[in-house]
Parts: sequence; C-alpha cells; structure tokens
Amino acid sequence: MRTQYISNPEEARDFLNRYRPFYIFVTVTAAVFCLRLMWLQIINGRELRQYSEKNRVKQTKIMAPRGLIVDRDGKALVENLPGFEAIISPQYIEDLKTLSENVAPIIGLEPAKLTEKIIRSKKLNGPFSMIRLKDNLTREEVFRLKRIRLDYPGLEIRESIIRYYPLREDGAQLFGYVGEISKKEIEKLNKKNAPDLSFEQGDIIGKSGLEEHLEKKIRGEDGVSFVQVDAHGRQTVTEIPNIYGEQIKDIEPIHGNSAMLTIDRDVQLAAYESMVKMNRIGAVVAMKSNGEILAWLNSPSFDPNIFTTDVSTKVMGKLSTDPFKPFRNKVIQDHFWPGSTFKPFVALSALQEKVITDKTIVSTPGQLWFGNRAFHDHNKNGFGSLDIYGALEKSSNVFFYKMGIALGVDKMYNYISLMGLGQRTGIEMDREAPGRLPSSEWKKARLGEEWQPGENLTMAIGQGYVTATPLQMAVAYNTIGTEGKVVKPFIVKKVTDHEGKILFERFPAEVRDITLPQPNGFKIDRANFKIVKEAMRRVANGSSGTARHWKVPGVEMAGKTGTAQVMSFSADQIYQSCAARPIQMRHHGWFVAWAPADKPEITVAVLAQHSCHGNTGAAPIVRDIIEAYYKKYHPEIIKEALKKNPNARGAATPDNNKPGGSVGGDD
Amino acid sequence: MSIGGLNVSERNFLSRIDLRLIALVFTLNVIGLINLFSATHGPHSREVETLFIQQIVWLTAGWTIFFVMTFIDYLWINRLVWFIYIVNVFALVYVDFFGKVVLGGQRWIDLHFFRYQPSETMKLCLILVLSKILITRNPEGPGMSMRDLLFPFVLLFVPFILTMKQPDLGTAMMLMLIGGTLLFFVKIRKSILVTLVVLGAVALPVIWKYALKDYQRHRVYTFISPDSDPQGKGYNSIQSRIAVGSGQFFGKGFRQGTQSQLEFLPERHTDFIYSVLSEEWGFVGSIAVLTTFVFLFLVCFEIASRARDKFGALIVVGVSSYLFWHMFINIGMVIGLLPIVGVPLPLLSYGGSGMLTTMAGMGLISSVAYRRYLF
Repeated sequence: MRTQYISNPEEARDFLNRYRPFYIFVTVTAAVFCLRLMWLQIINGRELRQYSEKNRVKQTKIMAPRGLIVDRDGKALVENLPGFEAIISPQYIEDLKTLSENVAPIIGLEPAKLTEKIIRSKKLNGPFSMIRLKDNLTREEVFRLKRIRLDYPGLEIRESIIRYYPLREDGAQLFGYVGEISKKEIEKLNKKNAPDLSFEQGDIIGKSGLEEHLEKKIRGEDGVSFVQVDAHGRQTVTEIPNIYGEQIKDIEPIHGNSAMLTIDRDVQLAAYESMVKMNRIGAVVAMKSNGEILAWLNSPSFDPNIFTTDVSTKVMGKLSTDPFKPFRNKVIQDHFWPGSTFKPFVALSALQEKVITDKTIVSTPGQLWFGNRAFHDHNKNGFGSLDIYGALEKSSNVFFYKMGIALGVDKMYNYISLMGLGQRTGIEMDREAPGRLPSSEWKKARLGEEWQPGENLTMAIGQGYVTATPLQMAVAYNTIGTEGKVVKPFIVKKVTDHEGKILFERFPAEVRDITLPQPNGFKIDRANFKIVKEAMRRVANGSSGTARHWKVPGVEMAGKTGTAQVMSFSADQIYQSCAARPIQMRHHGWFVAWAPADKPEITVAVLAQHSCHGNTGAAPIVRDIIEAYYKKYHPEIIKEALKKNPNARGAATPDNNKPGGSVGGDD
Repeated sequence: MSIGGLNVSERNFLSRIDLRLIALVFTLNVIGLINLFSATHGPHSREVETLFIQQIVWLTAGWTIFFVMTFIDYLWINRLVWFIYIVNVFALVYVDFFGKVVLGGQRWIDLHFFRYQPSETMKLCLILVLSKILITRNPEGPGMSMRDLLFPFVLLFVPFILTMKQPDLGTAMMLMLIGGTLLFFVKIRKSILVTLVVLGAVALPVIWKYALKDYQRHRVYTFISPDSDPQGKGYNSIQSRIAVGSGQFFGKGFRQGTQSQLEFLPERHTDFIYSVLSEEWGFVGSIAVLTTFVFLFLVCFEIASRARDKFGALIVVGVSSYLFWHMFINIGMVIGLLPIVGVPLPLLSYGGSGMLTTMAGMGLISSVAYRRYLF
C-alpha cells in the first residue's frame, strides 16, 4: 500500500546527504548579517546615532481652529481667541527636580504636583508624549516662562486657540463648552466615529450642548508641523548635512466648518437680561412660528469660558452642588407639571368632542365635590357662571374639573397627543426628555393600576401624571396659534466650510396639520382653534385676564398662565401665601404665549421656577422677549403705539400674594 | 526496535515531543511580544491596545494549532493534501476578483472576526502538495529530469501567478523560493539547474519591463541608490538603517527608540519590527534574535534528517525554508542588504494570517519530530 511506502524509514535516509548545502547557506547568511549589523551598529553606530538625535525632525500637531457658531444674522455666539500654552516634552528634561521647583510657581502649581504629573505621564504614555502644563497663559506667565525657557530643555510656549463664549452665562447649556478629551472618551468616540474620525490624547472636544452635538461638523482637521530640533528639543539650524535633503513642509490645519443657528442674538440677549433683572430661575425658549428657535436659555447658569482654563475645584464644586442645577438644559431635559397652561388643550378637546360649545355656560363654585373629596378652585368663592372664554381668561379650575369628568382620560389623551405632548419634539439636540401624557392604558402598563375617575380632574388642570418640557409647550401653543400646524423645532440653520460653501442646510418643516384626520382617527376643527385662540387673547388683553398687566405696545399677545405645585400641601397650607414659604417649596410659574394673537410670528414659553405665579413670575419675561423681537423686526409698530399711549406696556403689578388669593395649582 | 536502550512503549508524551523546538519558538514569541508592545505604544499610536492584545489572541490560537498539529499524524494530512490545495487555489481566485483592497493590493477575504489571507496559507499548501509528489522522485542518481519537473512546476506556477495578480510580489516570490528549495533539495539535474539559472537571467529584464508595477520598480531603484530620493521612496530604507545603526552596541532601551517611537519608521509593527528591536536592544539584541533563529534552523534540519519517512522529511525542509526565506528577506531588507519587499518577520511581526500559518507550520515540524522514534 502507498502509505506503507511513504512511511518507509529507509527511504528517508536517502536525503541524508542533501542537507549539507543548507547548513552552509544558513551559516553564511548568519555570518553576513552579523557582519552587516557590526558595520551598522558598532562601526557606524555613533554616526547613525547622531543622525537619529541631532537631525531629528519633530512632529507637532497644529490644532485646527474649531468652527465658529453664529446667530441668524452672522453675529458671533461662540468664537476663537488667540492664546498661549505651556508644554513640556519629558524626553528632553535634564533635571526634573529643579525644573519643577522653578517652573511650578510661575504657573501656580505645587512643585511636587508638577513632578508627579510628569512622572505619571512618562510612565503612562512614554517619554515622547508632550504634556500640557497650562492653557491660556497670562502675559505675565508667558513673559516669565520665556525668560527661563532656555535653562530647561523641553519646556516650550506655544500659541494656542482659546474657545470664547461672548454671551457667557447666557445660553451656556445650549452652546455647551469644550475641554480636553478624557481617556474614556477617546475610546468611546473612536469606536463611534471609527473610520472617519480619530481622537487622541490632548484633543479638545465639545463636552455638552451644541459644541458636543456638532463636534463632527465643526472640529476641523489638525495639521502637522515638522520642526528640525536638536537633542534638547530646541529648534536648530543644522551643522550636520541634512539627511532629509530639505525641510519637510508643514501640513496646514483645516479650519472647522461654521454653524449658523436660527438663534437671534438680540432676542437671546433680551431674554437673558429680563431673566436676570427679575432674578428668575428656570427655562426660556422662543420660537418662530415655523419652528426656528430664536432664543434658548436656562437659569441659573455657568460661564463656559471657565473651562478653557483649569477650573478651580472650588468653582466646580459650587456649580455641581447648586440645587438649581446650572448645567441642566431644562428647556428639553427636564419636564414639569404644565398646570393651568394645560387648560387650553382640554378646552380644545371638550369643544371638539362637543362636551360644550362656545355658548355653553357652566357654573363654577369655589369647590367641587367628587367622590368623597373636595376639589378646590384658587378663588375661594368661585367665579359664578362662566363660558369657555371666561373660564380660560380667569383660569377657573372648577370649569375644567367638569370638562375632565365629561371627557375622561383617554379622550383627552387622543386629542392632546396630536399637539405633540408626551413625545419628543425631535429637535437636533442630545438627551431630550419626552415628557408624559398619560392614558388609562399607560397607567395600567406602567403602574399596574386602573385609572381612577378622580384623576381625570387633576389631569384636566395639568397636574397628576402630566408633564411637559418648556420646548414641548412652545410647540403645542404654536399649534394652537397657527390653527393646527405642528412644526419640528430646529436650531442649526446651516453649516458652511471655511470657504463659505454650504455643506448642510435645514428648512422649516411642518410635521402635521391636525385640522385633518390623523392616524389615531382624531382631529381638531379650525373653528374650535379660533374659539380657544380668542379666549387666550383675552387672557392677555381681557379686563380680567390673568396676564393682562403685561403688554407689548401695539401688539396683542395670546397665551395662558399656569402655576405648578412642586409638592402637595395639607389643607391648612393651601391658602398660605406662596411667598412665605422657603424658596424650594414655592410653585413654578408658567407663561406660554404667541404674538400677534391672530396670526403668530413668535411663540415663547417661560418657566419661572419657584416664582409662585405664572403672571408675575413668567409673563413679564415673555413680554420682554416678544417686545425685543418686535423692536428688531417691526420697530414702527412699537414706536407708533408708544406715541399714542406711553403706558402701553401695562407696567402695573397686581398683588397676588395676599393670603387666600391663590390656591396651589392656579392663577 | 529501540533507540538508546529505551523501548518505544516506555516513551511518554514529554520525551517524544521536541522541547528544544518549543523552547526556541516560545523564546521568539516572547521577544516578539515585548518588542511589539514598544512598537505599538508610541505617543501618537492609535488602536494601540487593540493591536497588542490582538497579537496575544493570535499567539494563543497559534499555539493551539501547534499542539493540534503535533498530535495529528501527518500521514493523515497526506490524504487531504489535494483537497486543501485545490480549496486554497479557489480562495486565491476569489480574492483576485472579490477581495478587500488594501494598500493597492487585493489580499484578504473578510471573515468579520478575521481577515483571511489565502496567499499566506498557500505557502503551507504548496509545501504539502510538493512533498506529496516529490516522495516518488529519487534523490539518488543524476536528479530530476525535465519530465519529472513538469508537474511540480504546474503546481507551483498556478498560485504564483494568482498571487502576482493581486499584486503581491513579496508573497509570490516567497512561493517561488519555497518551491524552488524543495525541488533543489530532492535534486535537480545539473544541466537543468544551469538552464534554469540562465533562463532566469534572460527573463529578468522582461519581467522588469512588463510584469512589475511602477512602485515595485521604484523599490529596486531606491535600493540601488537610496539617497537619490531621501524623502520619498528611499525614506523607509534610510530610516530603517538609521534605526538599526543608532541602536549601537547595547541599544537605546525599551520604549526609548526615537526612530520607532517618533514614527520615523514606517510599518513599525509589521515589516520593520526588527528595526525597532535593533534600535532599542542594539547589537546584543539583534544578534540574540539572529542566533535564536539559527538554532531553530539547526533543530529543524536535525528533525528532518531523523524523520521516519520521506514525506515527513520533505515537510520539515519545506517549512524550514518558509521560515528561513522570510527571515532572510525581512532582516536583509531591514539592515539594507536587500530591497524593500513587504515580507514580515515570522514569530515577531504583528499579523494574524502570518502568525497562524507559521505556528501551523511549526506544528507540522513538531508532528514529524513527535513520530521520529516510531520506526
């Protein structure tokens, strides 16, 4: 058999004399290689070592400037400023101890800490990784470091670019801030952006807000500079002939793309000024009726410029322990009870469902007994008989309790979800909260309990399970103002490269028109929108409207105030003055409105946290924002109105804080 | 039958297995890992951890294959030779038409967890298939005639041409060298040997003009005169020589090599891994690795000469030549004795296909060694 044949050992011996040339060849090769290695490493070693050390071309990264972020008129919202940074290359350090002793005090560091920092980086990243000692040096520091630089090889002062936020605290959560990439982020981002982008230690990246969201679009491409240096890391003119022939050309960085936002810097500034003047905590969003965001801010806030230098732990600690959360983007990240601002939605549902017409009169006593519990109105004596206009104008609770009973949760859910509550608006920002619009099904699935009839009453006045973000409220109110058009809000208008070529552009988009039947089988007629719009016009203009005291000269606003409890109170606490409570227990005030009342151009939502009332707390800010918008886009209207009546702004301040004037839950 | 007074049945696993072989291969593995760590952890390196850990994964897989091969009787493999050869040829054809294009060559089939490079395994298949048919050729007498050589030539040229087409000059040349070594080993008639050499000399200018790509011709130019274009094509060659030479006698130390850490050296973790070693460990380190390789060859030759049959002996000779030619061309290129050709250094360079193929080959040698006493 064949296998027997091949495993015949005698045959294998035939080869025995064939190995000799192989032994010879291997030996000769080894000898030749050995001689060559001796020639290179021992005989020419010193010369080649010199080449490798003295004729070294050092590569350094030239950071690409990030793209600018500008407002709709091209005015800067985020820009770049030139600065200086101190760098050290560990491989050139001669005496670490004296270096630390002399350099650390200049940049305000403990010598021991500096030594530790350098040693740690050397261990972690090897001796050739440069360490950034300090960013954003002052002129004094630059001067002092330059004077001693030659004594400490490896120490370098480089020009850098500092990200600058001219609006400071105004809109900080929207624009975000930048900082040096962390080790974790390197891993995460490199995985996420695999082939197109790669991040490395020392890179500056957007850490929050639009800086983070637009990272890919605005970061630019870093360049490389090739500098010929000597063994001490100092730039040299070489004495030894240059082995590279000539200087290698630098690769210039590519400037990041610029982003133009829909934000209007003037409106944004006015909004912030108003918030600061009133000393308010909360969230503000102003939107054009086509979905373009005009202003967006949160309070309290932080100055993003502090992150371009080393933030002191004291400042950082204060910011991160602030109970009012300065880093939160409350406009979309937090949701709140809408309180009475929810009532127009219930009114629309009741009208569409024909529970009432605009002629129906409903009696509204001071309280309504349902089950075995009294549901209060904020006016102890009630409002008497009201139609839908009066009910919204005066914000009667009892009227809407009755609507809630008649409609039930699921009818309300079906109509109100059309306006976008309980769903993300889809704005191009990260971490948007969806808010919540309950249905009986939802409660069953989520809590495993049946919907209680009493909960219809709390829902109808915007409490209980209902929550919404300020942005959702703006979009939903805009839907009422435009009689059925739900828009998708957006903030980045276009992105252009450094030559001005448009890379990306977004145009207003209508998501749906809810005067037409929607997939869930529901719609709201234009006539009903008109009724509710008229009622909301009266809120701001009627003789007993809750927001009548704040007016834009020559322009009619339409909207609704609201107050949201932050917690439940016992019966004796209910009528206690809100202002008498500690600040964290005071109600949130809402005012959401559009202007002009008949055909909106701008819709504004303001949540004034712990301000007790929607009218005094939030309405003045909404007025200021709409006024700023009109001053800029229709100055003639305001001028003319003020000519006719100098008191057209309606500066009166109502006394809302008298005991018994307000019940938790409403204005 | 007994050797050295011991009976076959008394020999246990440990004394049958060739520990010298394992020790030498393992030594090179460890040196390779230490060196690879340095090469992949420079200040500008990306994907650093992944490459190093990948290599450890390949090594583990490699040793698994090594031991599996050791315990499989190579005579059993003998029956599968035709099948695996043909499958591999088809894989090469597939790559030529649908493979992944990397650095201007189509070499890979993407298996998602692993990019399989059929030209790499072809080296082993070629050794097996040539060994299988060459056992019938008689080394006594004048050697193989033209007729004896016809069939082996066909088996050699099919993968050669497919690999050339990718184009992967380095691997194609390697197939030629391995095949040639085996044929030479079995003995070729002197007249034919002379004719082949003359033919080759005549063919060279023709290949130069028509078969080579521009970049391949450039490599040869720059080898002959590297300083003519120091920033361009000669760059790799010069940088490698500076790296090796600047290591001097004792080297610059672990992770201290400026040439490699500051990325003057291209392809540090693959083709130029030996420059990293020479720079950081100097003449001492370079010679140590070279010596380890020489010892490895000596052990292999010894195993071949004590194989129980011709097939075994031929396999060992083939795999040794595989190892030798890689080392010869890679180190020759790194120290500036040969032009730049993309050939990795076995057991030291980073790379999955190369590592698995090498370890499978070493496993075959180990298998032959394991059965050397079973006459």
